[in-house]
Amino acid sequence: MAFLLAISVEMPYPTCVGRWLFVRKMMDQEAETTRREYLAFEAVDPETGKNHRVQISYDRLHAVAERGKGFVFEAAYSLPHILLKPTAVFEGLCSEDDEDARGYGWRCYCGVPPCRYQANGEESEVPENRVFLAFVNTDWVVYNWRWEPTDSQKRNLPTDYQRRFRRSLI
Amino acid sequence: MTMVSDEGFAKKVMQIAGSAAPCKASAYYDREGDCIEFLARNEEFYAERLDDLVTVYYSEATGEVIGSLVKGVSRFVKRHPNLAILVRAGHVRLSHLFLAGLLCEHPDRDKLQIVAYEKKQQVYRDLLDRAEETQAVAAMA
Repeated sequence: MAFLLAISVEMPYPTCVGRWLFVRKMMDQEAETTRREYLAFEAVDPETGKNHRVQISYDRLHAVAERGKGFVFEAAYSLPHILLKPTAVFEGLCSEDDEDARGYGWRCYCGVPPCRYQANGEESEVPENRVFLAFVNTDWVVYNWRWEPTDSQKRNLPTDYQRRFRRSLI
Repeated sequence: MTMVSDEGFAKKVMQIAGSAAPCKASAYYDREGDCIEFLARNEEFYAERLDDLVTVYYSEATGEVIGSLVKGVSRFVKRHPNLAILVRAGHVRLSHLFLAGLLCEHPDRDKLQIVAYEKKQQVYRDLLDRAEETQAVAAMA
């Protein structure tokens, strides 16, 4: 809101174009500050069973906004659901996707949320062969989430789960 | 950092993202994951790993390739220092990155591996097409 405050005070630009440029500059400054910040909420810590704070960057949320309603609802409802009530949590994504050079310690929360959101934001049933995954790094930052095909034997686990994760925590 | 409850989180996300107009394509570099997520179309998708670099996003409706997650981007560029030229003023063109990913792969002599490699080539070609159609660029700075 810093830019609104600034507008309500005296603006140094007399022309419309000047005012617009001034407002844009203030908005950009505020957006830059905000996007570097994080929003914290709770996820279950698979090692203690207690809740632990996880973070997600505003920058990431703004990126989700560009994709449309369904993805926004997914971030708002499906993501916290899986992080609080996962059916499985794996650790160690080194040799597989979503790994990082730091690798070991990164976690994958798996589960099936109550519904899936279509691109237009409408709720639909979760297909039987889909599982929702959320990836959390060692700093407890949630950096990715998505739907994947399920394992042929275990409905709530992703394909190839035995090979792609180092150990199961839940 | 702002701490919110489960419900508060949903409200906050809706507040931040709910009113934004959807774009047709998006490419986003995530520092925490060191990955670029690319989505050419606003459609439901599922993800499948292609190789160490790329996880492909397939449309649930049509099965077409509609996006990807490019993983360990900084690491990939470090491993292949010549690829640093792909990053201009902190921005990388996705089509260049996909092409680089494909060129850095080598088919195995094993027949099965070659078949897999040919399938992989096709997926990379689809990704290249999507990236070129949308002129996708990710800001890494």
